[in-house]
Amino acid sequence: MNRNNFLIHLALAIVLILIAAFAGQLNRWRKDWKNRVGMFPVAQKKRPATPTDMALAESQISGRPEVLVKFKSGVSLQTIEELTTRFHDRVEDRIENAPGWESIDDLDDAEASRTVAQYLALPEVEYAEPNFEIHIPDSTDTPLLPFPSDPRFEDQWALANSGQRGGTQGADISAMRAWATTTGSDKVVVAVLDSGVDYTHEDLAPNMWKRPTNIAAYHDDELGTIDDEDGFNAIENASDPMDQNGHGTHCAGIIGAEGGNDIGITGVNWKVRIMPLKFMNAGGYGTTKDAVEAINYVINRKKAGVNVRVISASWGSTQKSRALEDVIRKAYENDILFVAAAGNASTNNDRSPHYPSSYNVPNVVSVAALDRNDQLAKFSNYGVKSVAIAAPGKDILSTWLGNQYEEKSGTSMATPVVSGVAALIVAEHPRISVDDLKKRLLAAVDPLPVLQGKVATGGRVNAAKALQ
Amino acid sequence: MAISKEDAVEKARRDLAQRLNVDASEIKESVEDSEFPDMALGAPEDGEMSGQMMTDGWRIRLATGGKTFEYRADKNQVRLYKYKGKNYRI
Repeated sequence: MNRNNFLIHLALAIVLILIAAFAGQLNRWRKDWKNRVGMFPVAQKKRPATPTDMALAESQISGRPEVLVKFKSGVSLQTIEELTTRFHDRVEDRIENAPGWESIDDLDDAEASRTVAQYLALPEVEYAEPNFEIHIPDSTDTPLLPFPSDPRFEDQWALANSGQRGGTQGADISAMRAWATTTGSDKVVVAVLDSGVDYTHEDLAPNMWKRPTNIAAYHDDELGTIDDEDGFNAIENASDPMDQNGHGTHCAGIIGAEGGNDIGITGVNWKVRIMPLKFMNAGGYGTTKDAVEAINYVINRKKAGVNVRVISASWGSTQKSRALEDVIRKAYENDILFVAAAGNASTNNDRSPHYPSSYNVPNVVSVAALDRNDQLAKFSNYGVKSVAIAAPGKDILSTWLGNQYEEKSGTSMATPVVSGVAALIVAEHPRISVDDLKKRLLAAVDPLPVLQGKVATGGRVNAAKALQ
Repeated sequence: MAISKEDAVEKARRDLAQRLNVDASEIKESVEDSEFPDMALGAPEDGEMSGQMMTDGWRIRLATGGKTFEYRADKNQVRLYKYKGKNYRI
């Protein structure tokens, strides 16, 4: 070997030693990571742990396919290897101090849950589970999904049904899992077309819409200019949308009572902007003409640059109005979803339509009401062709006039639940079209046997699924 | 100002007496607590929309001349239900 060859070989040897040392360190890092304390699916490595992750780990088994399998005693190593080879897996490690347990890597990168199911189906297997990633809980970690600090959250069965007051555990919209993705955005505006809103309510005030200073006051050729700083009052063609009934305030709270503020309740959205529109009076009723005026106002504001994406309409009657239908269609053309109450007459809307929920306009989502046991509420209208979806709508706690809270029932209450979920979707997908928004909303249901043949989707809205 | 049950019954009696041109003392009444399907008490006037919230109130049945008429009321309103096929807010 001449001197030049010797130097080349020496350099190569040094490089190889460095590579081997680095690989060894990587392996040690990996093992250290696994030995930490706390539960995470392996797939959750992309970002630092948040307080939401631990509970997600309990409910979501996804990502890198690494499972722990306990084979029954007497199953030979050869059999184990044959089985893992058959599944295109490999035994990564044997756990000496836990006889029968094997750590198995799935070379196909299938979901851990599927791999677990595959092994559980084998007669040779006693048990199989995903290999949870472990971490040390820090001071900000909590053992559960995002749990708002609002003291009456525990009464909000629609958001998290633990079986309280005779309810059925899990008969809810999976709000907590949804909040692991987003709790809403103050860039999303939801128009509450109702009896107005008590915009001074302490649980609503931070989430109320205010006309941005860069957007001019509302001008209508017939009505003149209205300083719509706080919203719009179509009854008086004025600026003040203060609620004198309570119904609109209740609906607004369901959509967006501020979450995590240590006060009262939380809305489906912790953060959102509620645009209050008043067309119903202190008695809770109003005219079709004023409803049309208010929707016209929303469209005008959208065109002026306000990001209003949803109109929540917890009202109706059996009287059809062409003017109302036309203006809702106009809202569709301006990318605004129109969520409407199916009605409370216990009747079939396919046979006896209820408006505006029964208008055949693409942006209309008609909502039926469920009780805390996932049963269609006795009062709720239904219709497999004309009612799209169901949502909690009985004994719903929400904001009321004078910083109060009350439980109310009706498809009025189910409607803002769906509007709220739509707002969460927009928060997560700001550019989503109204067609895709509706599609996503309706695809994200938990099917319920009682809703088969009753509503088109056959299911209850699920906020977590809507955000996936 | 909130309407009481007694106020509602009195208002209904006066309305019926006027409509039928009868003496209010000739009208017999029965009243029961009731839950209505919406905020127009299930008796919307033409062109009227109402909040779809279940609403507590009173069903007031008034009888005179062999006929019975139904009024519906809550703390906010009194309505005559299906009088000659139409609803009236009074």
